[in-house]
Amino acid sequence: MGVRHMGRGSTIFADPGKLPDRETLMNQVSPLPRTRTRSPLIAFQGVNHAFGSRPVLQDINLTIGQSEFVCLVGPSGCGKTTLLRMVGGLLAPQSGEVTFGGAPVRGPAKEISFMFQDYSKALLPWRTAAGNVSLALEAVGMPVRERGPRILELLTKVGLGAHADHYPAQLSGGMQQRVQIARCLAQEPSVLLMDEPFGALDAMTRQALQDEILRLIAVSRTTVIFVTHDLEEAIYLGDRVVALYPNPGRVAQVFDVDLPSPRNQLTTREHPEFLRLRRALFDFIREGET
Amino acid sequence: MKLLKGALLPVVLLILWEVGMRTHNVQSDSLAAPSQIVVAFWNAILDGTIARRTGETLRAALIGLALGSGCGLILSIVIGLVPPVARLMQFSIEVLRPVPAVALIPIAILTLGFGYGMEISLVAFATFWPVLIYGHAAITNIDAQLIDLSRVLRLSTTARITKIILPATLPRFFVAFRLAMAVSLIVAVTVEIAANPLGIGNELMTAAQSLHPDLMFAMVLWIGLIGWALNAGLLFAQRRLFGPAGGALTVQP
Amino acid sequence: MTARALWMAGSVAVTALIIFVWQLVANYSGIAPVFLPGPDRAWNALVAGFSGGDLPRLTYATVERMIYGWALASVAGIVLGAIIGSSQLARDYVAPMLEMVRPVPVSAFMPVVIAFIGLTGKMIMIVIAIGAVWPVLLATVHGVSSVEPRLVEVSKSLRLSRLETIWKIALPNSQPDILAGMRIGLTVALILTVIGEMLTSENGLGYHILMAARAFRSADLFAGVILLGLIGLTSNVILQEIERYMLRWKRR
Repeated sequence: MGVRHMGRGSTIFADPGKLPDRETLMNQVSPLPRTRTRSPLIAFQGVNHAFGSRPVLQDINLTIGQSEFVCLVGPSGCGKTTLLRMVGGLLAPQSGEVTFGGAPVRGPAKEISFMFQDYSKALLPWRTAAGNVSLALEAVGMPVRERGPRILELLTKVGLGAHADHYPAQLSGGMQQRVQIARCLAQEPSVLLMDEPFGALDAMTRQALQDEILRLIAVSRTTVIFVTHDLEEAIYLGDRVVALYPNPGRVAQVFDVDLPSPRNQLTTREHPEFLRLRRALFDFIREGET
Repeated sequence: MKLLKGALLPVVLLILWEVGMRTHNVQSDSLAAPSQIVVAFWNAILDGTIARRTGETLRAALIGLALGSGCGLILSIVIGLVPPVARLMQFSIEVLRPVPAVALIPIAILTLGFGYGMEISLVAFATFWPVLIYGHAAITNIDAQLIDLSRVLRLSTTARITKIILPATLPRFFVAFRLAMAVSLIVAVTVEIAANPLGIGNELMTAAQSLHPDLMFAMVLWIGLIGWALNAGLLFAQRRLFGPAGGALTVQP
Repeated sequence: MTARALWMAGSVAVTALIIFVWQLVANYSGIAPVFLPGPDRAWNALVAGFSGGDLPRLTYATVERMIYGWALASVAGIVLGAIIGSSQLARDYVAPMLEMVRPVPVSAFMPVVIAFIGLTGKMIMIVIAIGAVWPVLLATVHGVSSVEPRLVEVSKSLRLSRLETIWKIALPNSQPDILAGMRIGLTVALILTVIGEMLTSENGLGYHILMAARAFRSADLFAGVILLGLIGLTSNVILQEIERYMLRWKRR
């Protein structure tokens, strides 16, 4: 791995005389992913959090750069969803700070879009697919006239052009999730937060949506933080994979994903680097469970 | 703490009401201060009015409830067991059900005159429907596996009713009964207010008409207390009999 | 003809049978027509009442009162319910008081309110509204305060204002509850209309049937009761259809 340039909020420079030990090194994360730009967009600094008496996050230090696709993985109890919600402004850390664009996160930001895992509960059941996408446009105050074409454009982009007038109850799980994607894209976010978005879908739909997400953000260069418990999905999608240990959640290791873009469900998953990372990640997580 | 919060607003309103009446020295035919209401209530207890009137209302309400819910229970079991009968009766039920019990008051007066008879009949009519409808729903929602079980065990009809259907539907019937009880009190009091010279409702009306607002409000208060007490009592009984979950589907040995 | 249509026809036939039995009892049981008029007499009274009699006017008066009172109650109930339901503060301080008032029969309030407000026709509408507001109010409070937490987060995430959240998320979410409450409110409105008319001798079907009973005009009485039943049935069916349309997103 080697020594990397330490990001803001590093505890190492507090005492320049001391050499960083391996443990401390492991807890620092590079903000300089290989293939994308360098500016850190989102940062966690010394974040700790507990639910009641149960500590959930312990001393999280993490930075995420512009246009990065970062995957958070780990078993249940590692706090990955909690981290996501903090960036989304839905939860404030008990100690430490979460910043976006340098400023501390005080609530949901206009440029940050949150995609929930339980899509059936995150869509308004009384509105059609078009109505649900419209909600995001209404929220930003787009005039009524402009909404129609934009909604159609977004729904077509996610492949639901023909289902605009269907209610969520009439759509399959995969289609509902795509409506949510369309709604998130309607916000034209610079950051997309996705909380195990494909966990409840069947394998084929999952793969189709994985590629769809990659395709959609390839052009817009959106920053993505993607939470999943599926290690292969994390490697397939991400530029970096952050592995967390549970109880309490801590950053255990960060893996850089050096795979060719654009990804392909067949060839990428057979790539030697993919397989190496997969083995490393599996072993790592298994170690953490003991 | 929650109790205190909930009590704050009513207590404040009561105080304002009392103070408002006293400072403006209001002498009204239709409004009375809380203190006067309490006094009127206390006096009514002392001279036996409360006991007598409550007895009258409860007698009519409970007899009517027994009749109405009893018939509703039996009929719901019958049509539950024989689905074709249920389907044939559907139109008649849909036509008769929406008739408000109050609209039948004049018919009851005409045929039975004033007194207990008409009030009991009206309460019976009103309480019949919820028990029938909810009871029927309860029976048709019995877990299909229990029905299959009764078939496999080759139970006789009586045994099937007593050992499986009744125990399985009892919790839901009880909820329907709670609703019917509330209805019985409401209808009894309503009939008394509208026409019948019996019971608490009538006491309320005579107090209003003889310009005794304190006694009138005291009666309103008392009705509310009875209604609340009856419901709380039944809820307690429900929890004791059927557990906090409202009852599981069990089969008696 | 489908099986379902056959059963429907069968159940209508059963109703016709019951009416026929009623006719037989009226004709042959020896009970004087004054106490039990047959369906033929009731029907004649209905026809006579409508073709040149008072029934259209009285029916209109009753229905108008009921609908206006109910509409007023529904609007007030939804607005107040949305306000109370959406504010934790209001829920803690106000909701317990509402629960206390709930078990009191609405008709017990009628004399009180009538004593206050007086006896004119318009005032009865207010009384009806005061009585019919409770089911709608309680249903709205319940619906608004039990929105799916995920949807609350969606609205936070989209940075919707408080008003937008109530209008676009909390209230539509409560549609099933509110519509059920409005249906109960309509039943209450009808009952209060009838009682109100009986108590205040105001123009309407309630007073009409009371007078018919006192004057032993049983055919008129039965005709009036049937009419009231029809009003109850029709208004319920209409509301059910509206409810089915508004909740069409639930199906499939």
